Amino acid sequence: MAPKQNDLLQGTLDIMVLKAVSLGPLHGYGVLLRIQQISGNRLEIQQGSLYPALYRLEHEGSIDSEWGQSENNRKAKYYRLTAAGRKRLRTETEKWHDMADAIGAILSATPEEV
Amino acid sequence: MSLASRVRTWWKAVTRSEQLNGEIEDELAFHIESYANDLMRSGLPHDEAFRRARIELGGVTAQKENMRAAWGTRAWDELRGDLRYAMRMLAKSPGFAAIAIGSLALGIGANTVIFTVTKAILLDKLAVSHPDELRLFAMTQGGKGVVHGMWGYFDNTPSGKTLSTSFSYPVYQLLRQQNRVFQDVFGFKDYGRMTATIDNKAEVVTSEMVSGNYYRVLGVHPALGRVITDSDDAAVGSGPVMLISDGFWARRFGRTPDVIGKKIEINGTPMTIIGVNPPDFTGAYGAQSSPDIFLPFSMQPIAAPKFKSSLLTDKDLWWVMIMGRMKPGISTETARAAVDLDLNAAVRATMIVGKDDEVPRLDLEDGSRGQNAAAGDFAKPIYVLMSLAGFVLMLACANLANLLLARASSRQREMSVRLALGAGRARILRQMFTESLLLSIAGGAAGLLLGYLGRNAIPHLLSSSWEPTVMSSKFDWMIFGFTAAISIFTGLLFGLAPAWQATRTQVSSGLKDNAQTATQRRHNFAGKTLVVIQVVLSMLLLVGAGLFVRTLMNLNHEHLGFDPNNILLFELNPPGTQYSPAKSTQLYHQLEEKFSAIPGVDSVTPIEIPLISGNVSNTGVILPGEQQSSKKSRNTAFMDLVGEHFFDTFSIPVIAGRGFRPTDTETSRMVAVISQEMAKQFFPDTNPIGKTFKASEQSTDSIEIVGISKDAKYYTLRKDPSPTYYMPYRQNADGEESMTFAVHTRMKPEAIVPVLRDAVASIDKNLPLLDIRTQNEQIEDRTKQERIFASLTGGFGLLALVLACIGIYGIMAYTVSRRTNEIGIRMALGAQSGRVLRMVLREASWLAAIGVVVGLGAAAAMARLIDSMLYGLKPYDPLTLGGAALLLFFVALAASWIPARRAASVDPIKALRHE
Repeated sequence: MAPKQNDLLQGTLDIMVLKAVSLGPLHGYGVLLRIQQISGNRLEIQQGSLYPALYRLEHEGSIDSEWGQSENNRKAKYYRLTAAGRKRLRTETEKWHDMADAIGAILSATPEEV
Repeated sequence: MSLASRVRTWWKAVTRSEQLNGEIEDELAFHIESYANDLMRSGLPHDEAFRRARIELGGVTAQKENMRAAWGTRAWDELRGDLRYAMRMLAKSPGFAAIAIGSLALGIGANTVIFTVTKAILLDKLAVSHPDELRLFAMTQGGKGVVHGMWGYFDNTPSGKTLSTSFSYPVYQLLRQQNRVFQDVFGFKDYGRMTATIDNKAEVVTSEMVSGNYYRVLGVHPALGRVITDSDDAAVGSGPVMLISDGFWARRFGRTPDVIGKKIEINGTPMTIIGVNPPDFTGAYGAQSSPDIFLPFSMQPIAAPKFKSSLLTDKDLWWVMIMGRMKPGISTETARAAVDLDLNAAVRATMIVGKDDEVPRLDLEDGSRGQNAAAGDFAKPIYVLMSLAGFVLMLACANLANLLLARASSRQREMSVRLALGAGRARILRQMFTESLLLSIAGGAAGLLLGYLGRNAIPHLLSSSWEPTVMSSKFDWMIFGFTAAISIFTGLLFGLAPAWQATRTQVSSGLKDNAQTATQRRHNFAGKTLVVIQVVLSMLLLVGAGLFVRTLMNLNHEHLGFDPNNILLFELNPPGTQYSPAKSTQLYHQLEEKFSAIPGVDSVTPIEIPLISGNVSNTGVILPGEQQSSKKSRNTAFMDLVGEHFFDTFSIPVIAGRGFRPTDTETSRMVAVISQEMAKQFFPDTNPIGKTFKASEQSTDSIEIVGISKDAKYYTLRKDPSPTYYMPYRQNADGEESMTFAVHTRMKPEAIVPVLRDAVASIDKNLPLLDIRTQNEQIEDRTKQERIFASLTGGFGLLALVLACIGIYGIMAYTVSRRTNEIGIRMALGAQSGRVLRMVLREASWLAAIGVVVGLGAAAAMARLIDSMLYGLKPYDPLTLGGAALLLFFVALAASWIPARRAASVDPIKALRHE
């Protein structure tokens, strides 16, 4: 059974995958690396939930996949953002900012403000 | 969120599961390799790097499953798993599967066959455009009604009035002219048989006469050629044309398109085929079968004269059927009121209406199924059959539920293990229902096959052996849907009990080895209830079978009053175009003499209405010096026109006076032989010989009674002989349009018919012999409904016995196997094996007894509903009820004998060691 911490990631994993793929087509391992790299290694993605997330996003039509050559000349499956995915990334990003603002406001509240 | 991508990915996962699997493996292998390479670069050794890469990804198998599941395949995969599992379970017990599928197939097949007939008779609509807009005109009148002459369908309403769907042709014309409330009004008439001479060969065809606007209003377009139009129906003789049915086209002309323009003779009148009807079209009279030819009314006086020269100008005979197509926005009641006024005016314009006479009232009936006379005749028997077939299916379901319940109990450990391993109860329910649905769908498929093979069995039984089938049952999607629905329904029905039990399984108790003894009583309750239900249903079916079989036996052993053996019947129908009444009587007399002279023929008699044909002729009986409305209870009697040798041919003894003689001719005094019953009722105190009577007050001819014959049944087996008198056919001045001949011969029909045919051909080569059958076949035909019921219900009853037997055996065997420990203890404590045997049998007899008692009550209630279909026995016939009860009781005991023996031979040592 996955620990609770994963549940927070579950919601955000989709956005992060979409964002990572929006910067250019990537294979699964590349998605992992890019998220770690952008986050400055502050976020560790559970490798076990990455691929189901990719498949779910493909099933929902946010990303598309095709087989191609990797940098070391191996066959690899590349994921690419679709138009629907781009739209979804935009709305999810807005939602995320709203949420972060709200939570930030709550956390920074002082007794005088209440 | 695009639907397309969802469908595309799901479809790929479901249909190309292998390919997807390979792709996932490749993708994960690439991931592991890339990660391992990175790890090696940071200094890990090769093997360790790969090991860590694999661990961090999680198990490849679990990954694969999750990835597939992300494509929405969970439900599908689980269903496939359940199905595979269910099939494996069935394959492991082929005997169980065979019984289950077989009994379901019989239950579902019987229901499919009966639904096929039900649909054809009660549901099928005319194959015309918008049949629901059609209204059939009907009229009702009481005893003082102005309409006396009717040819067509009529019925008595509950209020004692006569309902008819026939109108006179002049009334039809007026109604059509006055019509304001319908889009249009058309007329038609199933005109019966005509002689068609095609390429010099005469044969009999059935016909429908139609008005010029018939095809236009119905919206029917021909498959070939053109339809009858107004100009064909403009004036007498203006349209010597006809359309033929698809069936006749196929049967007689092999579907050749050359048939258009072909000239054939109808009753000797040359007419041209102008078109072929579409295959579904059956005319406006009914949706079951189509007449062979359709011709305009304008040809009636020329090609098919009847009664009088022209029916088109006859104001007294009501015979035309009328339909109208509703205008949108006008209610049926508004239309009815308007046409009722028109009818009143039309009757007054065409007939003389006296002060006390009653003008008929108009009714509008649903015309979407035509006259649909069959629905009236067969509706009740069909409902009875549907109920009985429903009982068979319920019985099969109860039986299966029982078998599945016993299996579910033995699978209790399996269920406990599943629950313990984390399966949800809903998931287990789904598994159980998947198994029962798989069984019911297999049963349904087999039942559909049975239904398909048997689809014509009942229509075939319903039609006479010497006439073409009344209707053909088309197998269509509606029937398929019915069978599919019934299969799923039965699957849910018999899956309910085992599924319910599965959910009640307790993880803890199910896993304990001896949990059985602790929960045994409660668990068996469901099974025992099912056995009682089975016995009740079997009781219903057995009683039904008993009642119908005994009805048929009673009818078969009914005293007829005449000897039906060695009598051949056939009909002659000389066309009115060539035979005047006098000429046809002369023809019959000529033939009577010719037939008598044939070697092998013992005696011959023409007979107007053959015996036990369901038809009867009725006249008044007015004794001299008596008014029609005298105090006597009856003043009518049945009458039949017969030949000189009638009494010899049918072996009806003449017990007083004389029979008919050659001297009783057209010109001699009118004579009659009356039946004993008539003598008793009309001449209670006097000798009737030499007395006279008249057939109606207006009649001037008085009829002299010259003899008394013994009573013989006339139109039906079901009624005791009524007062009847016989007259020589030659003394009927109106002549007879058709005549049946009864030939008493010991020769086989195949041998004598060609000789008879030659004899007819020597006088008129265009006169075919119709409806050739023996008198015994004629009687069987009148009891065909009873025959169908006896054979179907007998089959149902037998099936019920077998299923009850299986059910009781199953539940008792199961009970005994569960109680092995208990029985072992009893025997160790000194119980004799005979005692144990009795104990088991006692339990079985209790179940059977409860079922039989409840069943007796239900059967008595059911029998009251079918009272009118029985003959010669009361609905609560003690012999049938008692016999069924005893039979079922003994079958129950016999079925539990083997389990009881097994219980009695339990070895206490073994049973206890097991504990």
